[in-house]
Amino acid sequence: MSNTLRPYLAAVRSTLTAALCLENFSSQVAERHNNPEVEARLSSSEVVVNPLTISRNKQEKVLIEPSVNSIRVSIKIKQADEIERILCHKFTRFMMIRAENFIILRRKPIIVIDFIIQFMEEVDKEISEMKLSLNTRARTVAESYLLQFT
Amino acid sequence: MILLDNHNVVIEETLTQPIVNNNPTAFDVKVVDFDGVSCHLSTLESNSVIRFSLSMLCYKELVQWGAQDMLQREYGPYCVSDTEEGYDFTLEFNLQNLPKDKEQREELVNKLAMIKRDLLAQPFERAFEQQAKFEDEKQTNPHSELMQIHYRDQEAFYIQAQLDRVTVIFSTLFKEDTDKIFGKVFLQEFVDARRRPNIQNAPQVLYSSKEPPLEIRHLSELQKTNKNEEIGYVTFVLFPRHFTRGDVREKTISQIQLFRDYLHYHIKCSKAYMHSRMRARVQAFLKVLNRAKPELPNVEKKTITGKTIVRT
Amino acid sequence: MRLPPVIMDNGTGYTKLGFAGNSEPSFVFPTVIATRDSANTGASGTSVPSKASHLSGNIASKRGIEDLDFYIGNEALSNSKTYGLHYPIRHGQIDNWDQMERFWEQSIFKYLRCEPEDHYFLLTEPPLNAPENREQTAEIMFESFNIQGLYIAVQAVLALAASWTSKKVSDKVLTGTVIDSGDGVTHVIPVAEGYVIGSSIKHIPIAGRDITYYVQQLLRDRGETSIPPEDSLKVAESIKERFSYVCSDIVKEFKKSDKEADTFFQKYQGIHSVTGQPYEVDVGFERFLGPEIFFNPEIASSDFLTPLPNVVDNVIQSCPIDVRRGLYNNIVLSGGSTMFKGFDKRLHRDMKRAVDARVKRSEELSGGTMKAKEIDVKVISHKKQRYAVWYGGSLLGSTPVFNSYCHTKAEYEEHGPSICRHNRVFGSMG
Repeated sequence: MSNTLRPYLAAVRSTLTAALCLENFSSQVAERHNNPEVEARLSSSEVVVNPLTISRNKQEKVLIEPSVNSIRVSIKIKQADEIERILCHKFTRFMMIRAENFIILRRKPIIVIDFIIQFMEEVDKEISEMKLSLNTRARTVAESYLLQFT
Repeated sequence: MILLDNHNVVIEETLTQPIVNNNPTAFDVKVVDFDGVSCHLSTLESNSVIRFSLSMLCYKELVQWGAQDMLQREYGPYCVSDTEEGYDFTLEFNLQNLPKDKEQREELVNKLAMIKRDLLAQPFERAFEQQAKFEDEKQTNPHSELMQIHYRDQEAFYIQAQLDRVTVIFSTLFKEDTDKIFGKVFLQEFVDARRRPNIQNAPQVLYSSKEPPLEIRHLSELQKTNKNEEIGYVTFVLFPRHFTRGDVREKTISQIQLFRDYLHYHIKCSKAYMHSRMRARVQAFLKVLNRAKPELPNVEKKTITGKTIVRT
Repeated sequence: MRLPPVIMDNGTGYTKLGFAGNSEPSFVFPTVIATRDSANTGASGTSVPSKASHLSGNIASKRGIEDLDFYIGNEALSNSKTYGLHYPIRHGQIDNWDQMERFWEQSIFKYLRCEPEDHYFLLTEPPLNAPENREQTAEIMFESFNIQGLYIAVQAVLALAASWTSKKVSDKVLTGTVIDSGDGVTHVIPVAEGYVIGSSIKHIPIAGRDITYYVQQLLRDRGETSIPPEDSLKVAESIKERFSYVCSDIVKEFKKSDKEADTFFQKYQGIHSVTGQPYEVDVGFERFLGPEIFFNPEIASSDFLTPLPNVVDNVIQSCPIDVRRGLYNNIVLSGGSTMFKGFDKRLHRDMKRAVDARVKRSEELSGGTMKAKEIDVKVISHKKQRYAVWYGGSLLGSTPVFNSYCHTKAEYEEHGPSICRHNRVFGSMG
């Protein structure tokens, strides 16, 4: 793990630990509703706490938006070039299509934090591995083809 | 499977029974091949006559470069003048008039299974012959024709013989963003491959994504589409050692005409591979999340008669 | 010239591949894929065994493309010594998407030899397939293969469409009962106006394989000792395929066969697979006893005892009352195990008896005050029965309106995979 990654992830972890202090909170606007306040933003501003950004550098950052009963975490994944950009797009889209499998979890915040940290750690690794494998693949494919002529 | 084959299995399997084994049965089969080739194989009223018709986008162009002569040469007795509607040429095989020798009939079927390859081979053969002529006559500034083959709707390849080489240029078009970027990675490797010692003797490959290469820059069709930056150009430079008469030449022709299909096949396989990776990774992420699932209390449930309900 | 759509029918046992407009699939091979990782561990990783097979053309030694080192179909079976076999489809549904994606890869590029970008595709699915599966299929087809358009059809509906080739069918309707019997299972599927009535589907654990086993057992019981033990299953299978038929009544058939013994008893000639010696087997009552297990299951099995005609009758009775006439009217056969001579006649007779008896009884119960309109039971048998599902796909795919029923690549990109959850019914076609 590189030097800057460790403190970055540590900062995200402790911020999430603090932010995931949630409680049940009925909607102040619609009767008998219980919406994630961070999404709905219907109630007065007290229930939505100030959002927070943790940046590792220009390309990698996390936006954490806490509220009384829900938090929203947005992650910016590093995309150094157009290959990484397209792979990242493919990967996030792939996950989005399968969003229903990522069930909403209650009561076990530690595991949710673990999940987010693991995701952040591995998504970069995965994308660079994918890029690497694409290059290796392309090389083998080109070689196999050109070897036919020799 | 890494390399694509030139051999069409459906054509072979359809014709083996009637032609090789001399076992006439009625059939009516439509077959396609890469790059918009479609064939129609059928039996006429009496099952002893088989009709083989083929259409391909660039047939008219290929005729200019000797496709019809090839058909006459190879299939002379089977060529018929009334071409089936919608097709470019028609061959008819009367089962009574086939070669007596079974091996010859097998060869005929194999040849038919490769007919697309043989048709597309014509401009290459012609260019190779021209190059040899230039070299023999020591023409310093030979004038040679630029052969254009528009083998797909929006893509073409160009062949030109020069004094010491034959240049083959493919225009390539990627319809999708991912393909475009993957394609670039692949083509870059084609360009760089010759740096490795074991393939130094391979043809030189050049890639340009905006400007068409010098040889074809004057073409009016390119000037029109030039605005379209999607189109790239891949140039293969073939030296006489790449087309020595015999197996080398045949293999070069077979491989090079499948270049586009080969490239696109591998781009698609890479995407499939990425899908596998992503599936595995999503599974791994889910494993972490699923640890948070509340464990189900393991209570035996009984029906009113006292049987245990087993959940499967 | 418009290139024909590709029709792919991936079944649990066999895959049927070809182009629309043809009367038979270009390829029929087992839905099996042979990969480098051993069959037991599944997709445990991409580790490659060191000993590269000479057959694979040293693919395994090439870096980065180990995933291209595999075979499908018959080639997979013949490489099973060095590769692990996997069956990507279980119970009609895709079980392993990684393997399925690669299976399609070779189906398209090696066998069909077409550039998927140039074609529309028709794929098939079993009844009650989950919409998520359609999404995943669409994801692969559009994103990996860039196909032009996709239509996912329910197999039973295609089997109905295939029956339009029969002379008995006067109007092209998509209402009927499909009896689909392959090697493993027999399904009875009611379809009303292009929609499967899911709650009424029934599966019968008797199909081609069971008939083969039963024929094998009959041959063994009679002491046909000339059959080499290692060939016994194959002999039973080809006797089943070549000599079997469905009789109208077993007792009568026994008497009849005794009377006409010289024409009834036949000989099967085989060649020993190891020694190459020819041998002869007498073929007797198993000719009609084999397929009889559809109609009298108790002769072969002890767990499933309901005869096929009763199952079909029960299925139709469990459907909404307003479609029942249509379902009786159009009972369509599909799959290899419905090909026995006389199968349709017997099914028709047995069902007609059951239906008439029920009508009569309800008339009696009404005290003669009510008279029911006779129910017309029709069983449709036709020439394309063996690959009926594929053929139905080929028929639909070759109509000029087919493309307009597909979801196109542009639509997929605009709306995402969820549009493929629903595929329009071909009902409006004439």
